[in-house]
Amino acid sequence: MDQALATCLAFPSEGALNDDAAYDQAIQTHLLKLTKLLKEPPVPLGQYGGQLLELTDPEYNSLSYLAVLHSLLLPNLLGPREFILDKLVKFLLGFDPRQIRYAGSHLLEILSAVCNGSLLPPSVAVEVVSAAILKIDPSGSMFTSTHLQLVKLAYTTNVIEPAMKVVEKNIVFYPGMANWKRPTTLCDMTLSPSVYIHKETGFTGQVRTATVLEYDLLSGMMFCSKREWNKAHAAFERIVTFPTREGGCSKIMAEAYKKWVLVSLLSKGRAIPPPAYTGPAAAKAYQTLGKPYREVASLFETTNAEELRSEVEKSSQIWQDDQNVGLVKEVLSAYQEWQIKNLQNVFSKISITEIRQQTKSAQTGTNLNSDDDIEALVQNMIISNSLKGVLEKNDDGTVFLTFLPASAVLTEAEYAQELTKTAIQLKTLEPVFKATNERLGTSREYIKHLIKEQKRAADKNELDPTMGFESHVDDEDLMGGVTSTA
Amino acid sequence: MASADPILHFFTIIESQGGVIVKETPKLDLDLYIANYQGRTCFDRLLLIGRSSVPLCVDALKAAIAEAKKGKDVQQYRDAWECIRIAAPTEPESQWDSAWVEKTDKANKLETARLEAELKQYKNNLVKESIRIGLRDLGEHLEQIGDLAAASDAYLRMRPEASTQAHIVGVSKHIISIVLQRRDWPSVLANVSKMLTSGMSDEEQKAHQPFQKLVTGIANLHSDKFYEAAKNFLEVGDPSICQGCNDIASSNDVATYGGLLALASMDRSELQSRVLDNSSFRNYLELEPHIRKAVSMFVNGRYSACLDILESYRADYLLDMHLQPHVHAIFSAIRNKCIVQYFIPFSCVTLDSMNRSFAKPGESLESELMTMIRSGVLRARINTIDKLLVAVSTDDRVEMQTKGLETAKNYEKEALERIRRVNIAAADLEVKGTRKGMGNAMSSIGVGETWFDDTRRQLGQGESSVG
Repeated sequence: MDQALATCLAFPSEGALNDDAAYDQAIQTHLLKLTKLLKEPPVPLGQYGGQLLELTDPEYNSLSYLAVLHSLLLPNLLGPREFILDKLVKFLLGFDPRQIRYAGSHLLEILSAVCNGSLLPPSVAVEVVSAAILKIDPSGSMFTSTHLQLVKLAYTTNVIEPAMKVVEKNIVFYPGMANWKRPTTLCDMTLSPSVYIHKETGFTGQVRTATVLEYDLLSGMMFCSKREWNKAHAAFERIVTFPTREGGCSKIMAEAYKKWVLVSLLSKGRAIPPPAYTGPAAAKAYQTLGKPYREVASLFETTNAEELRSEVEKSSQIWQDDQNVGLVKEVLSAYQEWQIKNLQNVFSKISITEIRQQTKSAQTGTNLNSDDDIEALVQNMIISNSLKGVLEKNDDGTVFLTFLPASAVLTEAEYAQELTKTAIQLKTLEPVFKATNERLGTSREYIKHLIKEQKRAADKNELDPTMGFESHVDDEDLMGGVTSTA
Repeated sequence: MASADPILHFFTIIESQGGVIVKETPKLDLDLYIANYQGRTCFDRLLLIGRSSVPLCVDALKAAIAEAKKGKDVQQYRDAWECIRIAAPTEPESQWDSAWVEKTDKANKLETARLEAELKQYKNNLVKESIRIGLRDLGEHLEQIGDLAAASDAYLRMRPEASTQAHIVGVSKHIISIVLQRRDWPSVLANVSKMLTSGMSDEEQKAHQPFQKLVTGIANLHSDKFYEAAKNFLEVGDPSICQGCNDIASSNDVATYGGLLALASMDRSELQSRVLDNSSFRNYLELEPHIRKAVSMFVNGRYSACLDILESYRADYLLDMHLQPHVHAIFSAIRNKCIVQYFIPFSCVTLDSMNRSFAKPGESLESELMTMIRSGVLRARINTIDKLLVAVSTDDRVEMQTKGLETAKNYEKEALERIRRVNIAAADLEVKGTRKGMGNAMSSIGVGETWFDDTRRQLGQGESSVG
């Protein structure tokens, strides 16, 4: 036991660790010792594992702590459940991201066990997994298999809030990208997440196309349940425009398109055509599969509430089959709000009574019953900041709405500030871009391509009298054409 | 009221057929009006008036019957008779004149046979000129008896026999007159351009200009190209030559069509320079002084007076065979323009004063203004509380700032999206067509040749989209 404790506490030792290479060296030796300890424990670990956890610091001795915790947790709990789970939470919230890079696969196993939901209650599980994901990769720009497990758990158990900090990150890297090399020193903190997160380092499992699509779909639906329509719209749009090849289109993409149309009504008040970079085959599939949705969308933009309502009722089976009943309901209830918002294109001031006459609720297909209802609706819209305007009362008691301009004039300083903000955000993209560029720029295929291009450019300079005819015919068997193709 | 009932019955039928009905008494005098025309258009115009105007119905139909009997077209007589039979059963004209019909029918058949025989003979003789004449005679005869398809066939066969410039123009004119009657507007335009292609001297060109501009204008009018049509009518040219085209439209019509369409499609300075200061068009305007007055009212900013004049002639316009289907569109275009022009110098106008200028008594302009604002014709907002129409003042600064911020934001979004797409491609995670079902998508590293091939293509794409 003492010997085991000594091993556990051996790393990190004091000093001499400023250098990445030395750190790497030390950690490799430590890993060897740990493996030996776990493989051939002098006494079964279950007996004193708990003590070891008590005596080691999850933040300082993260590697040792993880090793012990892993053997106590998996495959079966060894020891008192409460105690181990308490340690687990402590560890996931506090581990040292630098050390942990050497034990990705162990961490991954623990995280997926947590995501299965059997160990911790969902509210805790989502919280700690989100924290762990962001600890491994603070930029949150790298996709891992854990991401999908997290959103699945969060969405099915309806614990959405704690997962938001992960879901809101922009993901730009995906595991399994071409030209990956194991970095010489994993502990280098300047490494891009795309370098140290890989199947080989154990931080992610197999990621398939469906994994990525499903993740975006679920995160979109999570935004929907929070009524953050703009973010949901962006999430669904990522799926709708997902890169395709050879006329590909997946079922998830079609599903997402339907939701995307509905959400664009909610976030923008109208349906927008899919962006130009949508896969052509997918765009075609959307045309046919999303027809009932587009019909609703085109009616949404008209003032014909009655028809919108009947159209929605007519296709109620479709909404049910596509599991979009909730969203369609949202669309119906948002209809009148958008009608009111559109009034600002025509009116500068308008009385509540006139708003009632001019707009209809799509839920009933008729005007609202009383001016008070309208007033409450407008009041809510102003409070929720979806409408810029003020309600005022005249001397004769008529309540009216004054629309305010959408954006006030900024002073030159404010404007400059806004622009700098964006510029700074763009600057944060720089490492991402650099990492991508480096990785792709040094790939074998790209260099091959580059050499070929240079050769061609050189060839062009020394005018070829045969106009390159010979190089074209090079690998073509002119004589044997008939027999070889037959 | 005994005589009113059949008319009522007649117009209920017309209404159920979707025809236009004009209840107001027009300013025109039927006899004077029709005296402006000659040829088959007389009958068409009379029948149209008979079918549309309540006050002139019986008179027009009677005149139509008389006109039909003057000619040789049995179908025309039948059409007019079908109408008068219902509208005025007591009139002597409502009796079916079978003797005339039989006689005309027989004569027509004989004449057709004679002309065809003659033509055959000419063809045997192989004299080009006589063949042309023969075909022309046959065509004219067929046109008169109402067999337009056969007539156009005969005219078309004239084309290869035409040997001089004048002949070609003649053929074109004949064909155009047929397609005009068949209301085939694209063919009218096509044939007019055929007529133009041949190199003509200036003088000849001048002589044909009225005809050519007139038919182009009518065809453009029916194709809803008001601005082009207006320009055509304004360029008709010499009124004395135009008089010769009265088998299509009279000089008065040129003035009306040109003036109205110009009002509907041109702005004030253009109206001044192209209509009022146009010396050749002035001759036409003299024939229809009210049009001239309306145009100058518009130019001088007296919009409501302009609209009043036009409104008082609405019934007349509705009884014109070319204007009838477009009166509504033309009038609302003029009205919209008046409202927009009226509003330009103001930043804020009370709705009451707008109503005084434009609305019919007792009606409010609001709904019309709303549609105009919605469609973007009028850049203004309505204030229903203080009863004002307020101009939209765009603050260029705000616009620039919002645009700048938006661009910056979009740039960031796009950059992210592009990097993401490159990386998806690099990770071989795209949705693939050949292997459907996303579960099968392979995402593996280093599985040999196929993989290298794939990445190469992706990288190519990646480069182009980043660059």
